[in-house]
Amino acid sequence: MSNLLLLLILLPVAAALVCYFVRSRAVRSLTVTATGAILTVASLGLLAQGEFTYSPGSFLGIMSWDVLITVLDFALLVIMFFYGLKLKNLLIQIFVAAQFVLLLWLEATIDHGMEIPALYGDNLSLIMVAIISIVGSLICIFAIPYMKEHEEHLHLTKSKQPRFFFFLVLFLGAMNGLVLANNILWLYFFFEVTTFCSFMLIGHDETEIATRNATRALWMNSLGGLAFVIGMILMEAKLGTVSIQAILAAGPQGAIMLTGLGFICLAGFTKAAQMPFQSWLLGAMVAPTPVSALLHSSTMVKAGVYVILRFAPAYAGTFLSYGIALCGAFTFVACAALAIGQSNGKKILAYSTISNLGLIIACAGINTPLAITAAIMLIIFHAVSKSLLFLCVGTIEHGIGSRDVEDMRGLYARMPRTTVITIVGILTMLLPPFGVLMSKWMAIEAASQFLIPVVLMAMGSALTVVYWARWGGLLMGTRERGAQPESQATLTRLPLTILVIGSVVLALIAPVIYSGLIAPLFPEGAPFQVSLGVLSSTQGGFAVYPLFLVLGVGLLFALKATSGWRKAKEVAPYVSGSNVETPGSYNGPMDQPVSFSAGNMYLGELFGENKITAAANAVAIALIVLMMGGAL
Amino acid sequence: MKAIILAILGIIIAPVLGGLIAGLDRRLTAWFQSRQGPPILQPFYDVAKLFGKEKMVVNQWQVLCAWVYMIAAAVSVGLFFAQSDLLLIFFVQAIGAVFLVMGALAAKSPYSQVGAQRELIQILAYEPILILVFVGIFLTTGSFKLEAVWALDSPMLAKLPLLYIALGYALTIKLRKSPFDFSTSHHGHQELVKGVLTEFSGPYLGLVELAHWYETILVLGLCAIFWSTNVVWMAVLLVATYFLEVLVDNTMARMTWRWMLKRVWLIGMGMSVVNLIWLYAG
Repeated sequence: MSNLLLLLILLPVAAALVCYFVRSRAVRSLTVTATGAILTVASLGLLAQGEFTYSPGSFLGIMSWDVLITVLDFALLVIMFFYGLKLKNLLIQIFVAAQFVLLLWLEATIDHGMEIPALYGDNLSLIMVAIISIVGSLICIFAIPYMKEHEEHLHLTKSKQPRFFFFLVLFLGAMNGLVLANNILWLYFFFEVTTFCSFMLIGHDETEIATRNATRALWMNSLGGLAFVIGMILMEAKLGTVSIQAILAAGPQGAIMLTGLGFICLAGFTKAAQMPFQSWLLGAMVAPTPVSALLHSSTMVKAGVYVILRFAPAYAGTFLSYGIALCGAFTFVACAALAIGQSNGKKILAYSTISNLGLIIACAGINTPLAITAAIMLIIFHAVSKSLLFLCVGTIEHGIGSRDVEDMRGLYARMPRTTVITIVGILTMLLPPFGVLMSKWMAIEAASQFLIPVVLMAMGSALTVVYWARWGGLLMGTRERGAQPESQATLTRLPLTILVIGSVVLALIAPVIYSGLIAPLFPEGAPFQVSLGVLSSTQGGFAVYPLFLVLGVGLLFALKATSGWRKAKEVAPYVSGSNVETPGSYNGPMDQPVSFSAGNMYLGELFGENKITAAANAVAIALIVLMMGGAL
Repeated sequence: MKAIILAILGIIIAPVLGGLIAGLDRRLTAWFQSRQGPPILQPFYDVAKLFGKEKMVVNQWQVLCAWVYMIAAAVSVGLFFAQSDLLLIFFVQAIGAVFLVMGALAAKSPYSQVGAQRELIQILAYEPILILVFVGIFLTTGSFKLEAVWALDSPMLAKLPLLYIALGYALTIKLRKSPFDFSTSHHGHQELVKGVLTEFSGPYLGLVELAHWYETILVLGLCAIFWSTNVVWMAVLLVATYFLEVLVDNTMARMTWRWMLKRVWLIGMGMSVVNLIWLYAG
């Protein structure tokens, strides 16, 4: 047990150091790949062992780990303050300095004599560890060939990859520490490490825009850090403990503690880039694609929703909980609407991430076993499908030099492998019987008791269909007979293949995941009975195996019908006149070819960023005020 | 076992009924316009003729999309007959809707491209209403499962009148009727030729037509369960609703997507929410 924990948290740290100090490409590739493999096995091993509580001894026999974490915490705050000075950003300086002072005060007031276990893992933590270690590692592996190509594109004389991989791999260790922490001070420390890692990774390319966006990410997340410290102080003042287990066991206890929980959730909102904090995650798009993939799927933003979900039992049945549901559901709708207005592929993915995180948070706020199940399922499936889609966009961008979906029209002609994988990825985000939709189904059924959240979810669900279907469809296109498929580096193809298979297979074994990992979280009564792969509750049912079977056979039949398509006559599309040899043109006046083109409707007049953002931010702020006011 | 038999029964019966309704629809429309109209079985002759035509495609994605559309539509009807979860039925139906759009987008044709965009806006308009209708049914019966509807002793219509009217919007869009038929206009040589259907031809167009019959039955089935307690009144409700649909189709001009989205979201959702508030309060 202790060995596994050590591996999951400290191995990435060691590997990060190797990447940083040994400046050899081969060593770096080997370290990253091997670390990924070991983390995968270790996370599955931990998952197999189940729930645990663990207190480490002392660090090298010199001092206790608690003291070491505290020292590192202050050191990290000093470094962040230094960056605040360097970037001349007053907000960062204020937020970090305030954290420093308040943390000193907290350290002075808490009873250090009390022994509390530093680490604790229930199934929620263990599922998170598996996502971080497996999906995160695959992204790190994908980054090896990607970053080589990225630097070739930029014509760098001196490689910056050692620093890049240092933060990328360190991120995994910090995330594992975050989700396994039981001492809330440890949780806070790892929370801050992820803030710092993301700041360094977003600013990696050191262009003006990268620095600007990294700065924004840092100030917003420092605000989150400050909220976290305030939350810890309030809860400690009320309960006199820093043990998360004790906090959860205490339940909602009066205004002071609820306000503390409200602040913790606010910290989760900033980390999960919920409205009005979404701009930092959109700005993070300037970073190389593996960074976006990591931030969006298995780390960073998932830390935000994890924190909110972790503390859900402590605020169950309060107005704070309903406030959280409203905030989440609103972000779900607003960001889905914003995604419709975008043609930049990475931006669509970013808004879709924020939107889905909103749905997870809405579920945490609804706070019934059914809703919590939906939230955890959504975390799992979203991580796999979203990382896949980010890596696809990265691969496409290197292939065609653009991340704009309009430039991906008929991409099947040029990059058939990547295109098919991308289309499958899109379908797993959108349609049954895949997991993201199943979670959405659970979310709507869980929310059906609450008018406003369910109306928001109904709208958000429809908006989601538009941007995914549009993107999936335009990737399809005509391909020349006998054209060569595109070549992919092995370390590019491997993560893509594993993730695309994973996104389908995980959805297929959803009933197993549910009964094995999620149902045990609800000893008083799990929301579903499972029989023959059908999840059924008193209010509804989702037939996973039967649907997979019927739709799978249907798809095979359709594929077989498609494979015989060469027997059909291939014709040019109808253009109200005679076609000419050049595709995309028709015979116009004076017998001259006239070319035509069609583009997506982005409904800018309704869903443009400039139309919605300001108003949506205002509503989001109002909802957060409502939520915090309800806690008081 | 009973569920499987019912599902298979539904999958077999639905296209027959759907085709007959399409035939009746044409007769009724002709009557409104003081014409004779084709025989009631004409839609079957039409589709049979389509299946006999030469296979022509722009690319293979169209074949895949047409088949998946048809299969998903059939499965959703099967689930409906098997008394499954309403939301699940709806999401399976969405597979078909999405694949139809993707099939249209797969062809580099301005008509089918624009048709696909318009179809997406239609989906955007009706989806939330359908979900809210299901939430209303859940609040009335205590379950999303269709079987709970049959256990009621009074018709749902009494409790969900506004939601039924809102469902009418969704029905009009789903049946591709005026004023909401802009993604697949019925008549050739209009501004969009035939929207999403422009590039589907021969047997593949036949599949799309068949899928449309399935969808018609699904949406009418949804209307039918609003008077689940009495078969006669159920029939009256269905006939009245469909008659009204055809009347609206023949008296209204085609509208733009902006008009549709605003009307359906504001009025349709507004009525749904008002109706839901009663239920939550009750």
